[in-house]
Amino acid sequence: MLAQVLFSGLALGSIYGLVALGFTVVFKATEVFNFAQGMLVVCGAFFAVTAISLLGLPFGLSLVFIVVAAATLGILIHRVLIQPLSGQSMLSVIMLTIALSIVMRAVIEITFGPQGRTLATPLPTGVFLLGELRISQLHLVAALVSWFCMGLFGAFFKFTPIGLLMRATADNHEAALVCGVNVNLMNRLAWAIGAVLAAVGGLFLGQLQLASNDLESIGLLALPAVVIGGMQSIPGAIIGGLLVGLIEQLSASYISPKASDIFIYILLILILLIRPWGLFGQKELGRV
Amino acid sequence: MSDSSRFWRWGLAILGVLILLYLPVLLTERSILGVRLSNMQLLNLGLTQINLMLIAMLGALSLNYLTGMAGLISIGHAAFYATGAMVAAITGSQWGWPFPAVLVSAAAVGALVGVIAGLPSLRVRGLYFVLSTFAMHYIVVFVFQEYQFKFFDVVGVPYPEASISSFVLNTPTRWYFVLLPMVVLVFWGLKNTLSSREGRAMLAMRDHELATTSSGIDVRFLRLKAFALSSAIAAVAGALYAYYLTNVTSEFFGIHFAIQFIAMIIIGGMGSLSGALVGAALWLLLPSIITGFASQGGTDGGLFQQMLVENKSQLVQVIFGSLVIVLLIFAPTGLAGIGRKIQTRFVALWNHP
Repeated sequence: MLAQVLFSGLALGSIYGLVALGFTVVFKATEVFNFAQGMLVVCGAFFAVTAISLLGLPFGLSLVFIVVAAATLGILIHRVLIQPLSGQSMLSVIMLTIALSIVMRAVIEITFGPQGRTLATPLPTGVFLLGELRISQLHLVAALVSWFCMGLFGAFFKFTPIGLLMRATADNHEAALVCGVNVNLMNRLAWAIGAVLAAVGGLFLGQLQLASNDLESIGLLALPAVVIGGMQSIPGAIIGGLLVGLIEQLSASYISPKASDIFIYILLILILLIRPWGLFGQKELGRV
Repeated sequence: MSDSSRFWRWGLAILGVLILLYLPVLLTERSILGVRLSNMQLLNLGLTQINLMLIAMLGALSLNYLTGMAGLISIGHAAFYATGAMVAAITGSQWGWPFPAVLVSAAAVGALVGVIAGLPSLRVRGLYFVLSTFAMHYIVVFVFQEYQFKFFDVVGVPYPEASISSFVLNTPTRWYFVLLPMVVLVFWGLKNTLSSREGRAMLAMRDHELATTSSGIDVRFLRLKAFALSSAIAAVAGALYAYYLTNVTSEFFGIHFAIQFIAMIIIGGMGSLSGALVGAALWLLLPSIITGFASQGGTDGGLFQQMLVENKSQLVQVIFGSLVIVLLIFAPTGLAGIGRKIQTRFVALWNHP
């Protein structure tokens, strides 16, 4: 029983970690606390519905479609909405992302109807036994792909020249600008990556459940994950995601399914009170 | 000049009061001086919407006090509404207290919860504080949900009929004449608070915390006080809301409920009390106006019209979401800021034609 819960917790946690990673990339680059990340997850799920069910593309092409569509969406959001607001107060930017998520939810309901849609992909859906453990193949694939994506982007940031430029930009906009880095391009790239990661999460969440607007609240679990892990830290986002998945599954099966989110938010408050910079973040020093 | 301007001011004030007094008659009789008005001429509005608007105004005023004046961003204001509704359920529905006592108890408990919710503000700033209110929202709504399922069931918490001694609030008109004075009172009270020593200290705290501390003001205490006042008002609004609807479930107080208040004060203008009123009015009345126009246009049946009719509520959301976005980008001070700009330009024209 415990091993079963731990498995599904880690598998779901990997998806949350992936979404949280996208969130952190955006936050590090543009300091936008993106409440629309949950809706980006929903968009990912509906991009998948569009590609697979409506357009009838083969799965490989569908993946390309999802990635391109999500990246375009991310770039558009940055260009049209975030860039004009640079320098505004934090509340304005937060409220902008909230308003954006309201608009996106309504547009999705107008286009696809209020009911959820089933998402059928050729990914394996069976279950196999490992000792006493029932392993759902979809969970396993989701976890593996999430880890692959995280590794891929980790390597991208660490080893490629563009990754280096992006890290430099996130570190200090002015300094990067002086060194001749195209800061806006880098920020746009960060938004594209954030949206793509959310969309991949949405692809899996949409198949594990239904592709519907309800996925937004699941996608928003990336927020506590990010804060628990430490807002500026990329490994922190991943570990925060895993922790959130574990807590959710553990409290759902041992305490009450209704209580699953509460323990996450209680942990969030505790972290904020005791260690506001998160488990892996760096302490921010107040400047006068 | 000053005499005539005073005359105009008093004239406008009296006209405003008369309109406010005549409004419920107009909306229930649906005719003006004996002339029958169509639904669309009344903008598809009813007195129920006006009452809900008045209740929302209380929420928007309290949030604007907290966020616009004290500079504490709260994304969990619905939690205080939920607190008020829950206290009203305990004292009103279960213990059978009279309505005014219910409101007082809601205010007291609301203030207490507000102080607790404000405690993280002693330690964390900015974004982290926003998140602590976000987390608090989920916890309060969870408590409400557990309470609801323990004592009532899925259909929600029922509330008794509200009455002030023998004056039973059983028609929208009666509610209107209770709610309107409350909004006026709260507006006037908050406005006066702002010109008191404490209010000025609070504005100073919003603008520069360090400078305020160094002029000998205990910022921590001030923050908690602002929280207590704001959440007490919001809790009263929550209790009124619950009594008005006569049945409330925990699902009412989701995160979207909290977001709508932020949207109201952004539309109206951050830090402006009258802006909060305008924002709340737009947020509550515009949907039904849009819906009215959409259904009216839908009868002649084009494909586009049909889409409008089918997706009325989504359409409202698209319009509001876009309105907030456009205001944030082009007029960050909200409608109040636009109003001020027009006023200064107009006054300048008046003085130097």
